[in-house]
Amino acid sequence: MSDAAVHVSWWARLRSRPALVTLFALLLGFVVGALVIVTTTASVLDAWRGIFHSWSAPGHAVKLTVDNVGSAYRTMFEGAILSPSNFWHALTTGHGWPLALTPLSETLTYATPLAIASIGVGIAFQTGIFNIGANGQAILGGIAGAAVGSMIHLPMFLHLPLTLLAGLLGGVVGGMVPGLLKAYTGAHEVIVTLMFNYVVAAFLILTLLSTALQMPGQQNDISRTIDGSAQLPPLFGASSGLRVNWGLFVAAAVAVFAWWFLERSSLGFDFRVTGANPQAARASGINAKAVIVLVFAISGGLAGLAGVTQMAGTTHFVDGGFLIGNAGIGFTAITVSLLGRNRPGGIVLASLLFAALGVGGRAMQAATGIPLDLATVIQSAVVLFVATPVLVKEIFRLRTAPTAAVQLATKGWGS
Amino acid sequence: MGIVSEVSVATAPARRAHQGRTRSIGVIMGLIGLFTLLVFGVGSGLSAQSSLTFNPVNLSGTIPWHVGTLTLSTAWTNIVLALAMIALAVEVNLRLPARGVMVRFGVVAVLFFFALLLWAARTGGPAPINFVNLTAVLVGSSALAMVLIYGSLSGVMCERAGVVNIAIEGQFIGGAFVGSMIASTTHNFIYAAVVGALVGALLGLILAFLSLRYLSDQIIVGVVLVTMLGSLSSYLNLQVFTPFPQYNTGNLAPDLPIPLLAKIPLLGPVFFNQTGFFYLMIVLVALVSFGLFRTRWGLRVRAVGEHPKAATTVGIRVIGVRYVNVIVGGAIAGVGGVAFMASQGQFQPGYTSGLGYIALAALIFGRWRPSGAVVASVLFGLSVYLADNLQTYQIPVPTEVLGMFPYVITIAVVSGLIGRVRPPAADGIPYQRD
Repeated sequence: MSDAAVHVSWWARLRSRPALVTLFALLLGFVVGALVIVTTTASVLDAWRGIFHSWSAPGHAVKLTVDNVGSAYRTMFEGAILSPSNFWHALTTGHGWPLALTPLSETLTYATPLAIASIGVGIAFQTGIFNIGANGQAILGGIAGAAVGSMIHLPMFLHLPLTLLAGLLGGVVGGMVPGLLKAYTGAHEVIVTLMFNYVVAAFLILTLLSTALQMPGQQNDISRTIDGSAQLPPLFGASSGLRVNWGLFVAAAVAVFAWWFLERSSLGFDFRVTGANPQAARASGINAKAVIVLVFAISGGLAGLAGVTQMAGTTHFVDGGFLIGNAGIGFTAITVSLLGRNRPGGIVLASLLFAALGVGGRAMQAATGIPLDLATVIQSAVVLFVATPVLVKEIFRLRTAPTAAVQLATKGWGS
Repeated sequence: MGIVSEVSVATAPARRAHQGRTRSIGVIMGLIGLFTLLVFGVGSGLSAQSSLTFNPVNLSGTIPWHVGTLTLSTAWTNIVLALAMIALAVEVNLRLPARGVMVRFGVVAVLFFFALLLWAARTGGPAPINFVNLTAVLVGSSALAMVLIYGSLSGVMCERAGVVNIAIEGQFIGGAFVGSMIASTTHNFIYAAVVGALVGALLGLILAFLSLRYLSDQIIVGVVLVTMLGSLSSYLNLQVFTPFPQYNTGNLAPDLPIPLLAKIPLLGPVFFNQTGFFYLMIVLVALVSFGLFRTRWGLRVRAVGEHPKAATTVGIRVIGVRYVNVIVGGAIAGVGGVAFMASQGQFQPGYTSGLGYIALAALIFGRWRPSGAVVASVLFGLSVYLADNLQTYQIPVPTEVLGMFPYVITIAVVSGLIGRVRPPAADGIPYQRD
C-alpha cells in the first residue's frame, strides 16, 4: 500500500487533492464571467464579427477582449483588496492610508455577517439539513436587534451585548419554527424555510410600520436608528472613515466556536453522525428529533446574529430593503457554505472571497460601467461547479477526489 | 384485485389520524367563518352598503352587455356568506369526508376574500372608492393565476418524474427577459413564446444534466439557477436594455375575444376575452392532466417518480424519462415567464418577485396534481392580487398579512396542520443504476 504511494508523481498527487476542485471551480467561474462580459459588450462583439475583414482584425479582437476582461477584473481586484498606486502612495508619503485601506475594510465589513450566517448554514448542512431560511432568520435577528437597540437605553457594556443577544434569539425563534415542524410533523425543511423567508419579509414591513419601531416622522418602512451604545464601533475609530467594525471579532469568535463545536464537542459529533448516516445515528441512540430542533436553533441563531451584526455594525437601522433581494445574505450564505465545504475554516475563506467579489463588483461598475451583478453571476457559476465536482474533474482531467465537495443526503420532499 | 383493495384500506390508527386532521381543517374553516360573521358582517353596521360593478376596465374589441351596479347591504350579505362558510365547516366536522376537504377549504377562502372586499368598500368605510369592480378583480387575479398555473404545471411535470424543480422562478425570469426582447423586436408573441420556451427548456436541461448525469443536489442547483438568472437578467438589463430601450418596449399581448362568449357578463371577460397565453394554459392543463393519468406515457412518468427501480425492471429508461420531463417542464415555465411579461409589461429586474416560489407552493398545495395546482393557483393568484391592490381601499388590515397567505397556508399544509400531502416517493432522490 505505502509502496505504491511513494511512486506517485507530484503531479498525480496534486491532481488528486480535493481543494483543487474548488480552485478549478473558481477558475471556471471567472471564465464564465469573462464570457458574459465578452458576449454583452458591443465593441468587443463588433471586433469579433469583423475578424475576417483584415489581417490585423483577429489580433485587434483578441486585444479588445483581453483589455475589456482585464480591466474589469483588475478594477474588481483594486476595489476589493488593494490598489497598488494608492498603496504605494501611502507607503512612500505616509498619507492616504484610509484611502489605501478602504477596499480591504469594505471587504471585511461585507464578509463579517456573511461568514456568521454561512457558518450557521454550514452546521446545518453537516447535519444533513438544508436551511434556506437563513435570510428570514437574519431579518428576524435584525428586527430584534433594532428593537432592543432603539427602544431601551443602557450603558454600552450592557446595551451592545444585549442587542447582539436579542438578534441571536430572534434568529433562534426563526430557526425553531421550521425545526419543530420538521421534527414533529415531518414537514420538509426546504419548503418550510423557503416559504418562511417570505412570511418574514412581510412581517418585516409590518413591524417597520408599527409605531414602536418606525422612525418618528417617517411614513416609509424604516426603523429608528439604534443608540450609539448599541452599535458595534468602527475598528479604527470613526475618524478613519473605515467601516470595518468590531463585528469582525464576533465573526472570529463564531468561527472558533463552530470549529470547536463540530470537531471537539460530543453534541457536534452527534450532529455530524446524523448528517453522515441517519440510520447509524438512530442505532447508536442519538435522539433525531432533538438533533433537528437543536441544529435549527443553532443555525437560525447564527443567522440572526449575522443579521444583528450587519445592523449594529453597518446600517444602524433596518428598512424595507434590509437583506432583501437577490444577494440577500441568507442566500449567499448557502453558496458560501458550499464553497467552503461546510467547514468553519473554509467558510471564512469563502466568505472573504465572495465579499471581495461583491465589493469589487461595485468598484468595477463605477470604473468600467460593467454592472455589478456580474459578481453574483460569477458567484453562482462557481457554486454550480463546486456542487458538481465530477464535472470539474472531467473538464480538468483530475484524479478521483476522496470526498465529494457537497455531501448532502438528498432526500425527497416528504421524508 | 384482492391485493389492491387490501392495500387501499387504511389501518385504523392512520384513518383516525386522517380524521383528526380533517376535523382540524373543519375547525379552522369554522373560525374563519365566525371571524367573517363578527367582523365583516355584524361589525360593519346595519346601514352600510357595498356596491358591485361588473363592467370590464378594458373594453378592447368587445361591447359587453352592460350590467348595472348591484348594491347590497354589507352586513346582511356578509352574514349570509359567513353562514355559508360555517355550514361548510359544520358539514366537514360532522361527515368527515375523505375527499374534497381542501376544495371546501378553498371555497371558504374565496368567500372570505369576497367578504373582505365587500367590507372594505362599504359606505362609511375608510375607502375613497365605494365600489368593487368584481370583473376587474377577477380579470386581474386571473392574469396572476395563469402565470402560477404555468409554473406549477412545470413543477408537476418535473416532480412527477422525480426531479425537484425549484428553479421555476429562474425559468420565469429567463422567459420574461427573452420574451420582452423578442416581442419588442418582432411584435409577435408566438415567436416570443417559442423563444421563451427554448430558454426555459435550456434551464431545464442544465438542471437535468447536473442532477441526473452528475448527481448534484437538485435543490442546490435549483436555488443557484434562480440566483444566477436573477443576477444575469439584472446585468443584461443594464448592459442591453438600458442602452437599447427599443429591445424592451414591453407591449402587452392582445386580448383575443371569443365571439359571443366574451360578451357574457363577468364570465366573459374572465374566461373568453383573454390573451393567447391564457387559452394555451387551458390546453396545457388539459394535456398534462390527461397525459399523466390517462396515457401509457403518464403511467411511465409516474412509475419513474414513485419507484424508479421497479420502472427500470420493466424496461423504462428512468434517466431518459426524467430528462424529457424536466426539459418540457422547463419549457412550460419559460412560456409562463413570457405570459407574465405579456400581461405586466416591460421587463424589470426582480419583477417576478417570487412568483415562481408561489407556483411551487401551489404545486404542493395542489398535491402534485394538475387539477389541484389549478385550484391552488387560482386561490393564490386571488390573494396575491388582493394583497397588491387592496391599498386603494385603505383597509386597516395591513396588506402584508394577505401577502403572507400563500406561504403560511403552504407551511400549514406540508406540516400536516391542515390536510396532508404526499409527494411522489422518489421526488428529489437521484437515481443511479447499479
